[in-house]
Amino acid sequence: MAVAHPTDVDTARVAGISDSLRRRRDVRGSLFKAAMALSLVISLGILAVLLFIVITDGWTVLSTRLGSFLTGTLRPDAMDAGISQGLKGTFYLCLIVAFVAFPLGIAAAIYLEEYAPSNRLTSFIQLNIRNLAGVPSVVYGILGLAIFVNEFDLLDGKFGIGAITGGRTPLAGGLTLSALVLPVVIITSQEAIRAVPSALREAGFGVGATKWEVIKDHILPYASPGILTGTLLSLARAAGEAAPLLLVGTITGFLSNSPGWFDVTQVQDKFTAMPTLIATWVTQPEEEFKIDNASAAIVILILFVILLNSAAIILRNRFEAKRSG
Amino acid sequence: MNLRKLFSMVFALALVAAACGGGDSDSGGAAESSGSGDIFVSGSSTVEPISVRVANEFEKQNPGVSIAVEGPGTGDGFKKFCSGETDISDASRTIKEAEAEDCAANGIEYLELKVGIDGIAVMSGPGNPIDCLSFADLYSITSPEAEGFDNWSDANELNTAVGGAGDLPDASLTITAPGEESGTYASFIEIVLEDRLEEREQEIAARFDYQSSASDNVIINNVSSDDTSLGWVGFAFADEAGDDVKVFSISEEEGGECIEPTPETIADNSYPISRDLFIYVNTQKAAEKPNLVKFMDLYMDYGLTTAVVDAKYVPLDDSALAETADAWANR
Repeated sequence: MAVAHPTDVDTARVAGISDSLRRRRDVRGSLFKAAMALSLVISLGILAVLLFIVITDGWTVLSTRLGSFLTGTLRPDAMDAGISQGLKGTFYLCLIVAFVAFPLGIAAAIYLEEYAPSNRLTSFIQLNIRNLAGVPSVVYGILGLAIFVNEFDLLDGKFGIGAITGGRTPLAGGLTLSALVLPVVIITSQEAIRAVPSALREAGFGVGATKWEVIKDHILPYASPGILTGTLLSLARAAGEAAPLLLVGTITGFLSNSPGWFDVTQVQDKFTAMPTLIATWVTQPEEEFKIDNASAAIVILILFVILLNSAAIILRNRFEAKRSG
Repeated sequence: MNLRKLFSMVFALALVAAACGGGDSDSGGAAESSGSGDIFVSGSSTVEPISVRVANEFEKQNPGVSIAVEGPGTGDGFKKFCSGETDISDASRTIKEAEAEDCAANGIEYLELKVGIDGIAVMSGPGNPIDCLSFADLYSITSPEAEGFDNWSDANELNTAVGGAGDLPDASLTITAPGEESGTYASFIEIVLEDRLEEREQEIAARFDYQSSASDNVIINNVSSDDTSLGWVGFAFADEAGDDVKVFSISEEEGGECIEPTPETIADNSYPISRDLFIYVNTQKAAEKPNLVKFMDLYMDYGLTTAVVDAKYVPLDDSALAETADAWANR
């Protein structure tokens, strides 16, 4: 049992300890505190330096032609080039990840936590999911290329769904990114479900609810803030991934397609995405592409990810407010 | 509650749109993702700037036609070209035998068209006494084996070992050249250094201790301010700089004929640090797609003149231009 408030007895006992010992303990305590504060300052400092550099480098573009930069398309001249196609591509990738990875991942987590028997097979699966979460993203790119973009021959049969995705399209890219974030979604959802107090579960069963009813009415609503945080953070990761998309094949030279934001047919068209656009631009020899345009695109991508994360926090707070209210 | 309503509305809309869209987009299959009107260009990142400029001009003249241009590299480009995925393949070399066999196996018929020349000028400050450098000289001052040399004469031992005369002068050496991200860097290594690097089992790269700059103007400035410096840039830039720099004549073999880079010597391939740039066109697709023919016609006109020059390459001379145009016309 932890002592929450020092009592007179404690004070007396502490006073009994020699002054030197107490001073030494204080030194350690404040050292620890300083080290922790320093870590925070370093992490924030790195972020601040990064933001400062990209904002100053991108300022020419952001301050003089933000509108045309946001609505423009890929062009050979740096002054005309814009990122609308990259933004749309990344938007649709996120949408596909949200539609594919989230339901699958949450459902898998519910199965593993609530239904799966605890045997060797289950723990083998658990172990694999944890390992998959650490697989480098470029490996998922190879997977995506083989299964979602192309078709491969195996045992006299054709495998892969290139015919459905249309090859190098947002659909193929989105499915690849879904596979990439799936393990993380499963793990975070599992943790959230595991954090539901068992009293809640037992109370549900106690009043005669079926397992399905307990999951639907008690466990999921209780776990939803945690699930939401995990899933939306993985969405932010999917938005920033370049390596798998380089393999899936985004177009970064010239792309005339510029359909409207809500023209869903573009998920089966050639596309480009923000991270690969930035990766290509920083390797261009022209300073206007390499410094100005790339930095401005980085700022926009950071804002996009911040927007996603803020959405996660706002949604989570709403859920929490609703439950307690 | 409002939020939930909004979400379900958006999702419903998206689903309806997806269902509607699914119908018409079935025309394009997986392997042949480009529909009847689309143009897809892939291949060399060196040639990419030319194709991108042609695509940009084409879109201005024919809005609504869908074009995509990318530059993953010549080899990757031929893979996609020979599987029928692309209509045009950009290439900074001719097609290899294995790639041609791959194309033949898939029944892809193509036309090889020379579109321009990538020439590299090696230069120094205007007062440099040296007139001519051989590939062996260049190897002994720019290869990874030359790391640490800050005087031309430091390289003499290495110079003799790789077949040079070993008579480089006692003068300070600073090098400014394009960085790794540049096509010029890659071309320089490939043409000048690669054979000797392979022979001497070195990493395929230039020495890392030179000042790299992405800006050709910075390279020109650095080189022109120091009479014994060394640098290399795309020929168009050195030509523009005029008397601010001294452009070396180059001989491929030690003691061989020294060739000065000029548009003529580059165009007739006698200047050794140059390479031809090509595009390969799928002729069956050209027969099926009127837009591809239109695109190629623009490439033959605007592409071979304006776009090649804008992309800082050397345009073909008149006879080579006519040859390319004839090849396309008689496809």
